[in-house]
Amino acid sequence: MKRIISIDIGSTWTKGGLFILADKTLKLEKRQAVPTTQNNLVLGFSQVLSRLLDKDESTPLKELVGAAEIYFSSSAKGGLRIAAIGLVPDLTLQLARLAAMSAGGKVIASFAFSLTRSDLSTLEKLQPDILLFSGGTDGGNSQYILDNARKLASSTLSCPVVYAGNRAVAEQVMDLMNKKEVIVTENLMPEVGQVNIEPVREKIREIFLKRIVSGRGLSEIVELSGSQPRPTPLAVFELISAIPQYRTDWTDLAAIDIGGATTDFYSNTESYLETDTVVLKGIREPRVKRTVEGDLGMRVSAQSLLDSGWPYLEERLRELGLEAEGLKNYVDKISSDLDYLPGSEEERLFDRLLAETCVYYSALRHIGGWKETYTPQGKVYVQTGKDLRRVRAVIGSGGFLSAASADEIMRFPLKKLRTYGQERKLLPEKPEFYADRLYLFSLLGNLVEKYPAEAAALAVNSLEKISGEE
Amino acid sequence: MQPENPSNPKPEFKNMEKDTIILGVIGADCHSVGNKILELFFTNEGFKVVNLGVMVSQQEFINAAIETNARAILVSSLYGHGEIDCQGFRDLCLEKGLDRILLYVGGNLVVGKTPFEIVEEKFKKMGFDRVFPPDVDLKKAAELLKQDIKERFGSDTHTPQDKGQARQPDNQESEEETRKPETKAPRVG
Repeated sequence: MKRIISIDIGSTWTKGGLFILADKTLKLEKRQAVPTTQNNLVLGFSQVLSRLLDKDESTPLKELVGAAEIYFSSSAKGGLRIAAIGLVPDLTLQLARLAAMSAGGKVIASFAFSLTRSDLSTLEKLQPDILLFSGGTDGGNSQYILDNARKLASSTLSCPVVYAGNRAVAEQVMDLMNKKEVIVTENLMPEVGQVNIEPVREKIREIFLKRIVSGRGLSEIVELSGSQPRPTPLAVFELISAIPQYRTDWTDLAAIDIGGATTDFYSNTESYLETDTVVLKGIREPRVKRTVEGDLGMRVSAQSLLDSGWPYLEERLRELGLEAEGLKNYVDKISSDLDYLPGSEEERLFDRLLAETCVYYSALRHIGGWKETYTPQGKVYVQTGKDLRRVRAVIGSGGFLSAASADEIMRFPLKKLRTYGQERKLLPEKPEFYADRLYLFSLLGNLVEKYPAEAAALAVNSLEKISGEE
Repeated sequence: MQPENPSNPKPEFKNMEKDTIILGVIGADCHSVGNKILELFFTNEGFKVVNLGVMVSQQEFINAAIETNARAILVSSLYGHGEIDCQGFRDLCLEKGLDRILLYVGGNLVVGKTPFEIVEEKFKKMGFDRVFPPDVDLKKAAELLKQDIKERFGSDTHTPQDKGQARQPDNQESEEETRKPETKAPRVG
């Protein structure tokens, strides 16, 4: 029997779970959550830890850490902010964005072709945690890459730069940018359409450990517990990757995590089935994919959700016979009081509409589509993006979806998305909906590296199937 | 042609030093057999072939050409709508900064029995450097391609200093550079 603790330091809550591992089975023993203290992350960490271990809260961290194996993740300070540079928007830039998000980052800006002066000043102003610099196939374009390298070299940018572009000019890029911290890795698109994002993800993870962790109070935890943190979304990503490997009845799945600031969408399914009547355009997306939407969220991003999601919201308000004014006032209220919880029936309905909108737009951006085209050989479908038709399980996570009592909050917006413009969206055809009631996904994600089978099994078993009307 | 040069000085970039060409069937055209044959053939001829397959749009050809720093785009069209599909292709290349790229087109380019000379003239006016009938001898086409690449890109190297698409003047760009074939077409339309 082994005691294992997993802690997730979020931007508002620090959550932890005590797990017992016996007979190759992982069981949740206890859960705890305390508010995160932003300027000292160790505080919440030790508090959760002491409660999980039934110790006095004044027990020094040094004494606590020996009592169990400890793993932890952090999305503190809004997570990992990444800026992405690619060459062609549909090719290397799209892959760079995908790689950044799959590594647990949030893409705060992205640039194609040559960086302009205003692009550079945007970058300098944003000061991202990491700059992901790509472009060109191996042996391909170098003109844009070298040009951008020169410009970056003379900028005031101080973050580490991951170079994942044309391998033939990697050394030149390093020479040009010798005043910056440049980490060279494999090209994320060595050939046109060939996807190679693993090495980039690995490098981003290393930088997260080395640079981001230090100076945020986490180094003390690392030192004492002997374990390295990972970005929270990466933990979830790893769990989503592991489930089909260890639960063979769960081969195709997706998860939606709606938070106050962002909405994350994860999927694990083959992105394209080759047939005579379906032609794939653009890159073939990876089997496991994460996208994160910074403009879709329930509180911090409620105002931008209102803008981005207006077409959907407007339609829903009309259907329900509600006034737009009421919703707008509610959004103003929750934007100024981020911890606000709905008090009336109407406010609960507004929250639900906002959550539906997050589902709708995060799915729209994550999931690919088919356009019907007539050719002399008959009807052909042109596919762009990822095909999620075979996904059976759709998991709702994060505060709003974990608490969902009926699947309509996810089923309804997805149904509305079946066709978008002239496109037929490749949504799950026969979805079953689940709720991550106990908020275990990020906690179990931390355990995947060491206990993949056990964590995957408990993750699936801990889900609650939701269906029908409330 | 570098691949035929046995004393290649930088073996690690061997594959990168081949001339890259982009291949695909344009428009709503699904003829894939000829496309696969072309890919095999030009690969054997020593080119690095990026095959985009069937139903390729102008933008996709150009995107791939930019990322790979391609020397030529070889457009196939077999279903008779080639003229419409290829309209404005050269212009779009110029817009996207592909000033020097070679454009080849071949196949059943128009419907009906239009004499090939007329078809050829039409496509050359559109800015294509070479136009081929369906029964072209591929060997010949490959020879022409090698020759055209040499003429247009001369002693350009493929590695680091990319003279790429018309940047600052450079002594490596010999007089061959400025001697363009009949193509640099007058804008269509």
